[in-house]
Amino acid sequence: MSSILTRRALLARTWKVGLGLIGAAGIWSMWDLLQPLATPGFGGKVRSVAASVITEGSVTEVSEARAYLVRPPGGDIIALSSKCTHLGCKVPYCESSGRFECPCHGTTFNLIGEYLTGPAPRGMDTHPVEVGADGLLYIDTGTREDGPVPGVLTLDEPATGPSCDEGGHA
Amino acid sequence: MTDESEVKVSLADEPATIGSKRVLGIVPGKPIAGERKEPAKKDMVMVWPHLLVRHAVAALGALITVLVVSVFFDAPLREIANPELTPNPEKAPWYFAALQELLSHFHPMVAGILVPGGIVAGLIALPFLDRNPSLATKSRKVAVTAFTTFMVVWIILTLIGFAFRGPNWGWVWPWNEWHGEL
Amino acid sequence: MSISSERSSTLVDRFRDTAVGKAMFRSPSRVTPRDRAAGHWSNFFLHLYPVKMRRKEISFRYSYYLGIISAVLFGSLIVSGIYLMFFYVPSPGQAYANIQTLQTDVSLGQYMRNVHRWSAHLMVLAVAAHMAKMFYRGAYKPPREFNWVIGVILLVLTLLLSFTGYLLPWDQLAFWAVTVGSEMAAFVPLIGGRVQELLLGGPVVNSATLLRFYVLHVAVLPSIMVAVLMIHLWRWRKDSMLDAAREEGDD
Ligand code: FES
Repeated sequence: MSSILTRRALLARTWKVGLGLIGAAGIWSMWDLLQPLATPGFGGKVRSVAASVITEGSVTEVSEARAYLVRPPGGDIIALSSKCTHLGCKVPYCESSGRFECPCHGTTFNLIGEYLTGPAPRGMDTHPVEVGADGLLYIDTGTREDGPVPGVLTLDEPATGPSCDEGGHA
Repeated sequence: MTDESEVKVSLADEPATIGSKRVLGIVPGKPIAGERKEPAKKDMVMVWPHLLVRHAVAALGALITVLVVSVFFDAPLREIANPELTPNPEKAPWYFAALQELLSHFHPMVAGILVPGGIVAGLIALPFLDRNPSLATKSRKVAVTAFTTFMVVWIILTLIGFAFRGPNWGWVWPWNEWHGEL
Repeated sequence: MSISSERSSTLVDRFRDTAVGKAMFRSPSRVTPRDRAAGHWSNFFLHLYPVKMRRKEISFRYSYYLGIISAVLFGSLIVSGIYLMFFYVPSPGQAYANIQTLQTDVSLGQYMRNVHRWSAHLMVLAVAAHMAKMFYRGAYKPPREFNWVIGVILLVLTLLLSFTGYLLPWDQLAFWAVTVGSEMAAFVPLIGGRVQELLLGGPVVNSATLLRFYVLHVAVLPSIMVAVLMIHLWRWRKDSMLDAAREEGDD
């Protein structure tokens, strides 16, 4: 008697488990299938310039790496990602104020990418920089390290001039 | 409403009788005689044609609006995409302008995830949160007030983000500078 | 003889009397209300509608007809969208030039693009307004709770369709709106970064993103939309019959 019921229950359970497994397999393969492919250029190691070009106080844009090379006072060269840590707009460097100013929601960063004002949650992200066999700097755009939290200010200098946003401010 | 109370019979015990007739069943509906009013049910109309012609007119109206607007206004096309240069101001489509406005004030976790997620979750849960069965506005003060507040705030934020924000997300007056994008 | 003279014999009526006409339409004429109802039931397109409704339910004040307006705009989007697909290749090298060619060289190209764009904007408006109207009418209350939930899903789908379409012209407006929009996904705890990469097909908006958004925009989301919309309409019919069955419940 009870063996019939068990068999029935087993079958009823089996098809549900089977359905679940197929569903899980579908989601898993979808997730796997849609993983981004490794692309040359941005996403890998990008060759840039010789280390000697990067002096303290200078900002060198490497557009292929979507990054800026800067040298903090007395420190090693770092590559600042030009992607705003707020919502990913490209943060241009403003010559006149000596700061990075994001046009989207107005976040500002200092010369070495530390957070000053605005809605971004942290300073500019960085990519590791290596010196290659040819003596040039390589920016590893595949790895990204979070920028310093707000409040960290190793370079506390006033703006060198007017900011770059052309009017229209309240 | 009164027809159930008119004849009190219990079919389970013994066959009820009215006069010399046995009651075999009770059929809901209009009594044969009596001064009952027509039930509201009678106020039904055929969908074809009454609703369908109205729908046809509404549909044609919407379609003609689009077809005429499209004659006079061209869809915008800006310069080709350039990852090197973010336009200033950078504007989201108008239906996300309220979110974008919030994003300029709050942490992205709040304005980008919690607020939109909360709105969608709240809307989905609404029928299960608001258990008040009344349909009259007067007896649904809480729900109506909450929803109206939300709508007004959202529309105002949308308008601000859409028309009142200029370069670097600073404030502009739309009649001085126009930065809205459709 | 007497029957045929009673009937107005328009071309349609005469067609319905032929063998082919009888095969297509189950009910031959619409003389009595009963025939009409039968004709309604046996018509595929009308089966999305109830046969009868309460008089107040068909009035303008009851719904402002925003539901049917949204549906019609969706139809206009499908038609104009298919037209646009003939002229568009989703690759960063070609997309923008395709749009330019469409606007300058293809006859009615600019017009079709306008229709698609304005229908999309109006549809977002109409769907949102439909939702607001349904709220104020209390149409999310029993027995319609679930259809309200489906409606919210349709609203989200409308926004997603609109947003994925926004990238396709590959102009500055498109590129940066999608950059900012997808960056929000990265703030989802734990899986946010992976989800964003999956969505974009890379660390930033690139050619893979354009292709992915295109597939979502023309295949995945519209199919889901049509399926969910059908459920929505079916529930609307069923719920309205439920409503009619209970005599009370007015105001
Ligand atoms: S994206 Fe830079 S401030 Fe928002």
